[in-house]
Amino acid sequence: MTVGRGEGVGGAPTGRLTPGPACRVDFSRPLAFRFLGRPMTGFAGDTVASALYANGVRIFGRSLKYHRPRGLYSLDGESSNALMEIDGVPNECAETTALRVGMSIRAQNVRGDPRTDRFAFLDAFDRLMPAGFYYRLFHRPYRLWPLFQKGLRRMAGTGVLDPVARPGPDVRAERYLNADVAVVGGGQAGMAAALAAAESGLRVCLFERRGWLGGHLAWRVREYEGEPQYERAEGLARRLSAGETAAPATHPAPAMHPARATHPAPAIVKVFTNSPVTGVWGENLVTGFTVGGEGDPFRECHLECRAKAVVVAAGCMERPLVFNHNDRPGVMQAGTAWRLARTYGVKPGNAVVFSVADDLSLEAAVDLADLGVPVQAVADAREAGHQDPALGAALEERGIPFLPGWAASRALGRKRVTGCELRTLRGAGSRRLRCDLLVANAGWQPGIGALATAGARLAYCTHTHTFQPVQLPRGVFAAGSLTGLRDPRSIEASGRLAGCRAAEWCLGEAARGGRWNRGGAESRGAATVAARATEAAERNAESLPGPEPGCDILHGPGIRRGAKAFVDLDEDGTWKNVVESAAQGFDVPELAKRFGGFGLGPGQYRVTGQNLAMIMADLRGDPLENASPTTVRPPLVAPSLATLAGPGHDVHKRTPLHGELASRGAVFRRAGPWLRARHFGGDPRHGASEATAHRLREEILNVRRNVGLLDSSPLGKFRIFGPDALNALQRVYISDISRARPGRCLYSALCNDMAHVLDDGAIVMDNGREYYFTTSSARAGSTMEWFRYHTRHDGWDFHLVNVTDVFGSINLAGPNARRVLERVTDDDISNEAFPYMGCRWITVGDVEVRCLRLGFVGELSYELHVPSSYCQFVWDLLVAAGADFGIQPFGLEAQYCLRAEKGHIIVGAESEARVTLTDIGMGWLWDREDTVSKKVGAPALRACEGQPGRLKLVGLRVRQGAGSSRAEPGASGAGPGSPRDGALVLDRGEIVGHVCTTRYSDTLGWQYGMALVREEVAVKGGRVVLQEEDAPGTKVICMATIVSPPFYDPGGERLRA
Amino acid sequence: MHWLKLRRLWRPAPLKRHYDTVIIGGGVHGLATAYYLARTHGLRDVAVLESRYLGFGGSGRNTAIVRANQRTPENVRFYDEGLKLWRTLTDELDYNLMFFNCGNLNLGHSEAAMNAFRMAASTHNFLGVKSEVLDPRQCAELIPGLDISDRPAFPIHGGLYHPPGGIVRHDAVVWGLAKGAAAHGAHIHQGCEVRGIDTDGARVTGVRTSLGHIGCNRLGIMAGGYSTAIAAMLGIELPIHPLTIQAMVTQPLKPFLHHVFSSGAYHVYANQTLKGEIATGAHMDPQVNYTTDATAYYLKHQAEALVDLMPALGRVRFMRIWAGLADMTPDMAPILDGDLGFGGLYLDAGWGYFGFKSGPVAGKYMAEYMATGERPEILRTFQLKRFLENRYSGETASAMKYGHWD
Repeated sequence: MTVGRGEGVGGAPTGRLTPGPACRVDFSRPLAFRFLGRPMTGFAGDTVASALYANGVRIFGRSLKYHRPRGLYSLDGESSNALMEIDGVPNECAETTALRVGMSIRAQNVRGDPRTDRFAFLDAFDRLMPAGFYYRLFHRPYRLWPLFQKGLRRMAGTGVLDPVARPGPDVRAERYLNADVAVVGGGQAGMAAALAAAESGLRVCLFERRGWLGGHLAWRVREYEGEPQYERAEGLARRLSAGETAAPATHPAPAMHPARATHPAPAIVKVFTNSPVTGVWGENLVTGFTVGGEGDPFRECHLECRAKAVVVAAGCMERPLVFNHNDRPGVMQAGTAWRLARTYGVKPGNAVVFSVADDLSLEAAVDLADLGVPVQAVADAREAGHQDPALGAALEERGIPFLPGWAASRALGRKRVTGCELRTLRGAGSRRLRCDLLVANAGWQPGIGALATAGARLAYCTHTHTFQPVQLPRGVFAAGSLTGLRDPRSIEASGRLAGCRAAEWCLGEAARGGRWNRGGAESRGAATVAARATEAAERNAESLPGPEPGCDILHGPGIRRGAKAFVDLDEDGTWKNVVESAAQGFDVPELAKRFGGFGLGPGQYRVTGQNLAMIMADLRGDPLENASPTTVRPPLVAPSLATLAGPGHDVHKRTPLHGELASRGAVFRRAGPWLRARHFGGDPRHGASEATAHRLREEILNVRRNVGLLDSSPLGKFRIFGPDALNALQRVYISDISRARPGRCLYSALCNDMAHVLDDGAIVMDNGREYYFTTSSARAGSTMEWFRYHTRHDGWDFHLVNVTDVFGSINLAGPNARRVLERVTDDDISNEAFPYMGCRWITVGDVEVRCLRLGFVGELSYELHVPSSYCQFVWDLLVAAGADFGIQPFGLEAQYCLRAEKGHIIVGAESEARVTLTDIGMGWLWDREDTVSKKVGAPALRACEGQPGRLKLVGLRVRQGAGSSRAEPGASGAGPGSPRDGALVLDRGEIVGHVCTTRYSDTLGWQYGMALVREEVAVKGGRVVLQEEDAPGTKVICMATIVSPPFYDPGGERLRA
Repeated sequence: MHWLKLRRLWRPAPLKRHYDTVIIGGGVHGLATAYYLARTHGLRDVAVLESRYLGFGGSGRNTAIVRANQRTPENVRFYDEGLKLWRTLTDELDYNLMFFNCGNLNLGHSEAAMNAFRMAASTHNFLGVKSEVLDPRQCAELIPGLDISDRPAFPIHGGLYHPPGGIVRHDAVVWGLAKGAAAHGAHIHQGCEVRGIDTDGARVTGVRTSLGHIGCNRLGIMAGGYSTAIAAMLGIELPIHPLTIQAMVTQPLKPFLHHVFSSGAYHVYANQTLKGEIATGAHMDPQVNYTTDATAYYLKHQAEALVDLMPALGRVRFMRIWAGLADMTPDMAPILDGDLGFGGLYLDAGWGYFGFKSGPVAGKYMAEYMATGERPEILRTFQLKRFLENRYSGETASAMKYGHWD
């Protein structure tokens, strides 16, 4: 990730230029790779694209719609031209991917060799494919549409993904950063901004997508103020990395002379290279990712940086010139040709023609000529006199014909550029030139992505002919060439100014006692100093040249129909298509974007955005200042899902007895945040359903006949205390909680405003001011907030403490439960001393446990709330004491069946959004006399009383099936003819409800069920039909009689035994 | 000109001072209602007012999934009719809506989820709507690459496969309906923002807009997530929470995902568009808001979910994320009503994330309702008063609430 330059060792290899000072390729380190199986050689420092180009590859792939040959157009991933399959991974950007040894590279959207693609004939059919043609075709007759659709699907898409192949073991990492100032872009302005902010003692993170800092200075050798520009960039980078960042925070250095500072500051600037920013989001969250290089412990690393202020200095990219065949391999950006030569030491062409519209591209022409690349002619869309005279002179000096007022009208050549046609923009001048490289652009457009995603408002500027920010969000600052500046001094000054403003913003917020309140005189002082620095930076910036005029060229001269003049490369959107979109009523950029697919491909807004907006304004006859850009959507650079997903660590909770249960063969299931033992024995997901059913029956019968143990630790457990504790309980629970007495459990339920049951549990009074209560596992997480919300206006004095994780819970249940418990405690737990619904503190092997005598499963049972760290100890004591009885653990499914036999509901299983507390037969819990507590749900319960046509919970006695085509067994223990949970309840051929839970019970000897049915059929003794149809034509039908639960032990003798 | 006659899909119309019927909202619902009013009921004096451009709202921001695998019989019947309309409309409108009948696979990650699937499948098949409960192996046969091992955080227990569903090109539906509505005489006005509603105390009489006052006898509020704000102009408080919901697409790939799949436990649904992108949606923001801001959190969340379910997707790259509004009612069923306290006032809102698939069928019946003044039987379930009576529709098993307390 460090800045490093491969000074070429020895001479240049074949096809390469003699390495200059800004070259990043190390010719002493060759890397072998393959393209379409052909062996090739690149060098350390190459990207895949530069290596392919140096090996003579000119056709990188085929376009989406017309299968036109496509070559290297940009070097920063601005279009899908150079998306390739690398080592089996589709859509890898060859332009930005570093070459590694042994890579296997393939072209995309190609049948056969990209040079002789079998679908190349499609290019002749553009007349058949106007914008939105697919909406007008293929649907008549409709029965043929699926065929066409299949064909369309096959033609669409580019990369090929093997869905079954598992990705390799690449390490993906994540970093969560915190900064005062985040700087997007490590060019001259970004570096100046980072330095300025650091001088105020602020922590700065700088993100640069390339592997080195310097932006477009990094490859420019032209001298500026006596110093080659790449050296200027290196100087700034050195100051950033070496911590030459002025004085300590409390004494910021004089703003204008940071270089003179003598005290090294702490390393408060963190520079991330190879780290494209994917978006600037709300509250100044900057995201991106770092592509790992040699020595990095990861392949890619997801970055999130929460910053107080953001400086966007993302620079510019080239605005494509729209002319016929502007997509031919051999047509490329000025920066691409220039950087191929300067950065990668690759000769971009042997005969080059330029058709450009700005001074930087002229400088490129001069520089390429100096590197020995023959430049045939330079056309400039600007009229004479608008150029830097020094550059005009330099061209003349080198004997390069310079044609101001001219632009490319057509690229010649079928598979790659063999020549071009230049025309005058006014008049009829025209000439054809032979060339193998046509460098074309319409000037520069700002990289507005980061600003746009941050929420900046952009408007067309008629001076620079670019979209410029007219309103920036809070704490976001723009700097550098994206603001239209071209003079390096101005760019650096604007960066410095943005850095100062960002610092002032951060410190100002602190001084104002705002969100990052560090407060105090110190920050006020720092803010004042920062303000002074800003003023100085402002004065400096104002004294330097402002934004230079841009070029408003819409398209090359002589565009005619523009059938092959591409506005969008990714989806083959042409000038003609824009016209067609407008003709069909899609004459605003946002609509045309959707209709014609402009800027929807991998390059997103980059190639298309500004051109589409300008062309559409022109077609509508609007002035250019009304041009509106389409919305830029993040991510600004496409991150792989693997990188975003990161290491994928699954976080869940385990009970204190997890290991114990696992060793006994528990099958675990996620239940909210917990992993819980569903049952013991094999997992039916892996085809062990018979064995599981058998084991499950044993678990159930062991509880009914003997004694079992359940780990119910996730049960919600709460302490509530304080003078108003009772008031809060009365508000939230539907029963009269004032009836709670020490040593007794009170059962109640909790409703929402609509009287739907949300939860039930036991409430125990410890003393007049303190209560203890349980909630279902699912509600444990939201109980605190539920209490707070429903008492928020009362000003009550109570405290609620969630002790769910403090205590584990062991449920000892079965007719032998008391005999087991007696063996491990000396306390009197006889039925008289500790009756049903009692609550006692007992000592189990020296451990004080709270013991609740409840009967959820319908047997004599004790719920032991044990401090978590003692759970295993107590469990072991119980298991040892119960060994003679054959004590066995049971799981959630057994508990589910046991409680259902008893007719006890589980919220969510037997309740839902259509039924109230009363509807499910629990209306007796409601303290209807209480009107002062304002019980949550009470008004709804009252309103629904006597309301006809509601669903009611009923019990079912299921008769044997009337027939089934299903082979597998039904509910536990029942034959194939039995319906399962979720079966429909039918009456007279109509759906009248559904089965919530149904099981065959070995204890009862018949299949019981609970169902929600319409009131009119909820009549005891009534007969209904149950029907399950898992798949069309696999009906399971049987009869059931409506009975009232509980099915098991209706008198409750076993609970009280 | 061109052999395909590249005419404007809908002709611009002059803004009249008065229309018999004004519809607020130029999305699928508003345009479908206008289309059926003009075509089926002969009410051509209709204007659709859209504050931005057609399809700006949820109609252009959804993931284009259509299906009828709802929970309750009332909803299944309604959405099933909607599903059958895609073909009819493609023909009627002479516009290819690109219905890709690929079927939907909803993944279950617990025994309880499988029970819910069984109930849904039984209901669907009873009503003649195809659905099938699948085991994990069958799921992986439908969608190669699904990880059906124990490795994922939420292992796959099975699925509910619903063959009649699929995806539709959402923009095409908007444009096709606009074309059809305009062809039958409806006026479409883009860039016309409603700022107030006028009544004579008993009936609506017109709307105040950014383009001036427009009188009307009947008014339909069909503005998706913005319907609450518009109803509030008349003092009508709707039990609707608007929440931002996000969606994203990956870079395009050759077809490899041949069905829609979704998972409640992971909060993810995904399909491969005809263009080859994997379009995928997330759960809603946790709190009520109108921002339609995309967030970094969801981009990451979605990647985590997709990679856990289908590891090969780790090699794919996200290209674009956007957001729209989901107008959530507490029972996940819409409000389609003409009994709102003002004569001539109709509401079609509260669709949550079901608004796209229901657009044409809702428009069909709202048009009937508005034209005749008689509530069609199929809309009986969707009355506003059900909330006052505590009669939720049961489209979700548990009530939806979007406060931070629940």
